[in-house]
Amino acid sequence: MEDNGGEDPVNNNNNTTVSSEGSIIKVTVKTPKDKEEIAISEDASVTQFKEEISRRFKAKQDQLVLIFAGKILKDGDSLNQHGIKDGLTVHLVIKTAHKAGDGASSSTSCTSQVGSSSGSSSGPSSAAHSSSVGSTGGPVSAPPQTPNILTGFGDLSSLSSMGMGSANFMELQQQMQSQLMSNPEMLSQIMENPLVQNMMSNPDLMRQMIVANPQMQQLMERNPEISHMLNNPELMRQTMELARNPAMMQEMMRNQDRALSNLESIPGGYNALRRMYTDIQEPMFSAARDQFGNNPFSALGGNSDGGVQPSRTENREPLPNPWGPPSSTDPSEGGGGTGTTGSSTAGSTNPSVSNPLAVNSASLGNGMFSSPGMQSLMQQISENPQLMQNMLSAPYMRSMMQSLAQNPDMASQNPASSPSTGTNPAQQLMMQQMLQMFAGGNASSQTPEVQFQQQLEQLGAMGFINREANLQALIATGGDVNAAIERLLGSQPS
Amino acid sequence: MDKNDTTTYSVQLYIYDLSRGMARNLSPIMLGKQLDGIWHSAIVVYGEEFYFGGVGISSCSPGGTMLGSPDTVVELGNTEVTEEIFMDYLSSLGENTYRGDKYRLFEHNCNTFTNELAQFLTGRKIPSYITDLPSEVLSTPFGQILRPILDSIHIAPPGGNIINGRHS
Repeated sequence: MEDNGGEDPVNNNNNTTVSSEGSIIKVTVKTPKDKEEIAISEDASVTQFKEEISRRFKAKQDQLVLIFAGKILKDGDSLNQHGIKDGLTVHLVIKTAHKAGDGASSSTSCTSQVGSSSGSSSGPSSAAHSSSVGSTGGPVSAPPQTPNILTGFGDLSSLSSMGMGSANFMELQQQMQSQLMSNPEMLSQIMENPLVQNMMSNPDLMRQMIVANPQMQQLMERNPEISHMLNNPELMRQTMELARNPAMMQEMMRNQDRALSNLESIPGGYNALRRMYTDIQEPMFSAARDQFGNNPFSALGGNSDGGVQPSRTENREPLPNPWGPPSSTDPSEGGGGTGTTGSSTAGSTNPSVSNPLAVNSASLGNGMFSSPGMQSLMQQISENPQLMQNMLSAPYMRSMMQSLAQNPDMASQNPASSPSTGTNPAQQLMMQQMLQMFAGGNASSQTPEVQFQQQLEQLGAMGFINREANLQALIATGGDVNAAIERLLGSQPS
Repeated sequence: MDKNDTTTYSVQLYIYDLSRGMARNLSPIMLGKQLDGIWHSAIVVYGEEFYFGGVGISSCSPGGTMLGSPDTVVELGNTEVTEEIFMDYLSSLGENTYRGDKYRLFEHNCNTFTNELAQFLTGRKIPSYITDLPSEVLSTPFGQILRPILDSIHIAPPGGNIINGRHS
């Protein structure tokens, strides 16, 4: 396998790329940044190739690393040897002066963060992993942080007893997560841990952790009430108590249901609320209830074999709470009246008190159609297409897709998905509405009333005077007048 | 061969179905054609998993994202490229072509990245059914309708740390 030896006097190691003996081939040299086509003799050596490349890319020859078919081209080789022919691509990496030990540097910055508890987003890698920590849910992100803190206290022995022998924090965290996913009881055990409870009673810490999550920050920008809520230590404390105590959580939920019912007394608020509920929340709520029951922990058993749930720990948070803060703020956004705004703010504070973690669910898109983020999404889509674009680039869109994946999974696992469970029809209704809104969102981005203007008129002309019912029927049937008529006839008392 | 003394590293392709089976069931209804999954892929080499998402290039321990274990693992072969060279390469990619804001669900997604990495490391491409997915979806009317929405989706499975975390 000798390359061009001295047998060809013309083809010696000059700086010429043209040799009359060997034919010229065009080889594409590709760097991460760009690519160039280099003409070289097919009998050339790697050294010659590198000379040409160093000229073209303006780099020193010893900085060049050439890779072809997974092999590194060494100077003594020839292009022929590696099978480099005309039209093929060779990869080039230009070594920079500093050593790229990304793995090492991130682990050192991780371990250096061990001493100080999380929350400070100094440096991208810490922001990255605090965001991935934050994505597991507000106070409940405490558990993945636990090894961090324990390590800080030098309590490594308990770590290895938990099955984590790795020193790298990132791996620790991932192992933690995968363990959590496979063993739901572990989380409740962790919650029992007095250390965790201690940490959770520190509102500043919790606040820092929540705020460090970039998705949270995005949500805070959109809904200033949330930042107010976070800034109120009393609220935080209450929230964390709730998170520790599921029974108390249900109590609070009942409270906020009552608070929401106060909204009815506001002019216009009731209608908005009702429309919101019947159009969107009811199917989702029943879907939620059917899936998770009233016990937030029942989610774990059901989904553990279905693969991984995204943001798994959030499912422990009050999932069956569709009346999260965004839905309460929606009347204020959609209605626009100052009166509504005032009391809606009051109304939204209450749900926030019991449930800022629902806010987390909103921002991170819980594994459920009933997530408040989903609702606000729907609401805003129907009102403003530009907002739709923005909203959809938000993180919870991704989680919504994932939740979309999960729900049909559950439905397919339930062979007896009869209408009484409400899961399938509810989801189908959801899908339909979504599709409608997506399809109609580009063309006519208005409320269903305007969208179904024509159909409404038709129904009115036929004698169905109850506009409200007409609208609902149209929405349910996706604008199909005939089907809507059937619905109306079926439900109208004769 | 005359390179017996260089160490090689095995390169694998981890393929995940983002729809968790939903695509297989619903795609005939929704799209009119059979799609077996919404594929997300990642390259596993040097004991780490690398993937591209809405936040840029990320890495984690294999199977360590929220997606869990992969549906399929494809052996891409071996590479001589050392980790050092590879990280240099990734850094350069992460500065330009594969920054977080360059993510495009249809044209420049995780699978584009994986394909490029696979070719860099082994000279082979990833299976075509993965890279063909966007065009398959776009060739359906439903895909066309959803296109503006889907374009703005950034898939970024949480659980990894961002390489070269230069957020733009």
